[in-house]
Amino acid sequence: MTILQAEQLTKQVAVGGAELRILDGVELSVQRGDSLAIVGASGSGKSTLLGLLAGLDLPTSGRVLLAGEDLSGCDEEQRAALRERYVGFVFQSFQLLPSLTALENVALPLELRGQRDAERDAAQFLDRVGLGERLGHYPRQLSGGEQQRVALARAFACRPEVLFADEPTGNLDTVTGRAVDELLFQLNQEHGTTLVLVTHEEGLAARCSTQLTLDAGRVVGRR
Amino acid sequence: MIAMAGKLLLRNWRSGALRLVVGSLLLAVAVVTSVALLADRVERALTEQSATFLAADLAVRGPNPPPLAWQPLSAQSGLASSRIASFSSMVYAGQEMHLAAVKAVDSGYPLRGQVVVSQQPFSQQPEDLQPRSHGPAAGEVWVDARLLPLLNVALGDTIELGATQLRITHVVVTEPDRGGSFSLFGARVLMHYQDLDAAAVILPGSRVNYRFLVAGPADAVASFNRQVTAQLAEGDDQHWQIITPDNAEASIADTVQRGRTFLLLAGSVGVILAGVALALASRQFADAQLAQVALLKCWGVSGARVRRLYAVQLVLLALLGAAAGLLLGWLFHAALLAALADYLPAALPAASWQPWLTGTATGVLALVGFALPALWHLPGLPPLAILRSDITGSPLALAARLAIAVLVAVVLLYSYSASFWITLALLATLAVLAALIASLAVVLLRVARAIGNRLGGVWRMAAANLWRARLQSQLQMLGFAAAIALLLVMTVVRGSLIDEWRWQLADDAPNHFLVNVAPYEIEPVKALLAERQLSSEGWFSMVRGRLVEINGAPPPADLKERHESLNRELNLSWSETLPENNQLVAGDWWPADITRAADEPIPMSIEVELADELGLTLGDEVTFSIGGLRFLAVLVNTRALRWESMTPNFYFLFPEGVLEEFPRSGITSLHIPASEKLVINDLLRRYPTVVVIELDKVISQIQSVVNQVTQGLQMMTGMILLCGVLILYAGVALSMPARLQQSALLRTLGSSRRTVLRVQAVEFALLGGIAGLIAAAAAELSLAAIVEQLFAGGAQLHPWLWLAGPLGGASLVALLGVGYSARSVGLPPLQLLRQLS
Repeated sequence: MTILQAEQLTKQVAVGGAELRILDGVELSVQRGDSLAIVGASGSGKSTLLGLLAGLDLPTSGRVLLAGEDLSGCDEEQRAALRERYVGFVFQSFQLLPSLTALENVALPLELRGQRDAERDAAQFLDRVGLGERLGHYPRQLSGGEQQRVALARAFACRPEVLFADEPTGNLDTVTGRAVDELLFQLNQEHGTTLVLVTHEEGLAARCSTQLTLDAGRVVGRR
Repeated sequence: MIAMAGKLLLRNWRSGALRLVVGSLLLAVAVVTSVALLADRVERALTEQSATFLAADLAVRGPNPPPLAWQPLSAQSGLASSRIASFSSMVYAGQEMHLAAVKAVDSGYPLRGQVVVSQQPFSQQPEDLQPRSHGPAAGEVWVDARLLPLLNVALGDTIELGATQLRITHVVVTEPDRGGSFSLFGARVLMHYQDLDAAAVILPGSRVNYRFLVAGPADAVASFNRQVTAQLAEGDDQHWQIITPDNAEASIADTVQRGRTFLLLAGSVGVILAGVALALASRQFADAQLAQVALLKCWGVSGARVRRLYAVQLVLLALLGAAAGLLLGWLFHAALLAALADYLPAALPAASWQPWLTGTATGVLALVGFALPALWHLPGLPPLAILRSDITGSPLALAARLAIAVLVAVVLLYSYSASFWITLALLATLAVLAALIASLAVVLLRVARAIGNRLGGVWRMAAANLWRARLQSQLQMLGFAAAIALLLVMTVVRGSLIDEWRWQLADDAPNHFLVNVAPYEIEPVKALLAERQLSSEGWFSMVRGRLVEINGAPPPADLKERHESLNRELNLSWSETLPENNQLVAGDWWPADITRAADEPIPMSIEVELADELGLTLGDEVTFSIGGLRFLAVLVNTRALRWESMTPNFYFLFPEGVLEEFPRSGITSLHIPASEKLVINDLLRRYPTVVVIELDKVISQIQSVVNQVTQGLQMMTGMILLCGVLILYAGVALSMPARLQQSALLRTLGSSRRTVLRVQAVEFALLGGIAGLIAAAAAELSLAAIVEQLFAGGAQLHPWLWLAGPLGGASLVALLGVGYSARSVGLPPLQLLRQLS
């Protein structure tokens, strides 16, 4: 069953009076539970594509279907509602809130959804990523790898249908990066989440069921 | 929603992101509340004080006995009332007689304040003074001490007043409503109203000044005022005049007014300073919220919900901050009151609800005007920015933020000061500052950079840092310069205001006038004074005459009606030189050796306000009549007088050698210390026609008011200063992360802690110095406006501002900045960087 689909996706921006085409006629489709790696050189349009697929931005032309809903036909509020229902994120720069503890960082999105046992659930997820002893620690007291594990716990705690990850190990050293990769795929399997990730790491890309290679905004390879 | 917002607020508070915002909010509310509480209570005390100058909360004055209906009317409203009749009448004792200033009061008098009596004539010793909250009983009189030698009587003797005999039981030292009614030159005789009939001294056509006094709750007084005003308007009765404490006594009213103006100025400055702090703090808070808002949006929280979450947080913050601020403000004002217990009346009246409302409204409005604009853009933040790691956000356009802040400032200032001029002057200060900064800051930064480049080392780096972040530098300078300028303005205003008061009421200021001294008595009186080592402020002669024609025609009827000076005898005097305390306004003073032909009009000088009221301009001719003899004078100059100087002042002055031929008398003023008061007794025994006006009593009344007000003003200036310092701190704290980041880098590259601190010290000092220089200019400009508009004085340059501004700014900002960062700079660079991230 197709959970995510892009049709003739094009994104243009005006730069100094000239039109710059960042994405050009991208077509893709992801089945529920699959994993898709978007790879390519810097500036090839990977992150832009991820943003469009997640409904964070609108294409110039073409459309994105998330769980059958056409994102282009939704207004910002409707897209927000779809994100809340289906989508989770992991960022290259972790994006933990420095003012919150690890537990609070994971619990926050659950609390925003009105989940009653948000903190207990969050604690379980932190325990799952191996940080059960660090619940009260602030991001600045955690290493980079630990911070990304908190971010993973936060993403999976929301039980998203689709998890978008933008260079999830880009800020980590090789060894730590591999450990985080491992955790990401484990959690993915445990929860049957659909994974869409942007990466430079060949090893990480290779673990995905599908790889899409971008060059100058066009799909130049598909595996 | 409230619970969630509360949770977010709590977490924000715990993380420290809110500390500066809450601190500024608390400060804003606390300062405004304490200033408002103080102003309110001191003002109420002043109003009560000035009510004692009226002996009531409101008086109705007229030439006839007050309508009988007023008594029940006032009683219905719950007001106490009293009647007074004042008139001149001869009093006798044996062979002696005196034209006394009689005041008949009923049993209710005085409604406010106290009558002070004594059994020791002329004594000012505190142990001899007995306050009374009533007047004399029927059959008794209380009299001025000077009446005793005049009539050659003592306490316990009786005097005759009309057809009745009254016993002197006390010497009256002060009456609350005596004020400066110098027109009644006779000695005071205070009698009971009930004795008026028996005395039968008031006949149809007698000149009597009746007063109907009321006192009680403010709203009842106001209602009585309205009803009587309506009655009088209905009957077209122009004989009655309503007097309130504000217009009771011109000099006191003026003092109260100036005090009020200053208190309000202080309060308004508090509002502005707190607003600046809040705006700075909110920017920092908004920056800290960028990531959170972007994340919320990524997780599908709608923009509307984000807006609601922040709105509720702000409302909670406003309520909590206002509540805590009100408490803090109350504590602040209580502590200040306790410190000044000796100077303030033992029981200050309780504050009204207004200061509390002002404090709360300030908190809410300040948050809306200064904090909300900084957060406004957050819900619109594109979440995609997170993916691209370029979370910058585009805050509300500077112009829009400025417009909102100015609007809120106007609302706050105007609602607080109710003075168009204060609002305008303060906002003008800020507008001038902003304009100056826009044009000057960049120029000065460029200059600093050029100098820094030449000097090299830390100077180069400090100047380059400021230049690189010049937008931020400009913003900070705006804050610093505003605070410094306001502090400078406050200092000058307070200084000049208090100096003027002090000067007005110097300890050795003349406190007695000797009037009606015959020419042949002047030398012996001088000798007597010299014998007692008392020196007078110079002797003047005066001649009494009437103004009968202006430019050859009698004054128009309406002018005559309006202006009392055209209906009575005027004091005319002469002087070869412009008297001290007089200032020439228009025209030239006459030369010492002035000559004129016999048929030429006599040159004349008139006090400028009187000249304006009479519509006289230079070159106009005025005819005077002295005992039936007429002479023509021409207006050659106008003068401004300082009535507060307590020296003889004259509306009309002529050259010497013109009026001397007319019957004249001498006048002088002198300082008689309390210990020498008995000289008056000797003087009056020897020269019974001399009239002594004892201003010391009036002065001591005024002085006690001024002392209290002065103390109040000093406290407030201190608080505003503290407020300014805290704002400097907020500005420094706001720029700290960027500065610390750089320090960490420098430390990583091997700079010593000392070098890093020196770079920061120089940078802060430059920032503060430039802001101080700009502040001096702005303060000078706004002072000119304030002095001109509020204190009715001439503008003048204040050279010390130009030194104090830059030096004070540089040292203060450097001290705060370095003090703030000293500890962090000592940390290992990696730890520092981690803290910052």
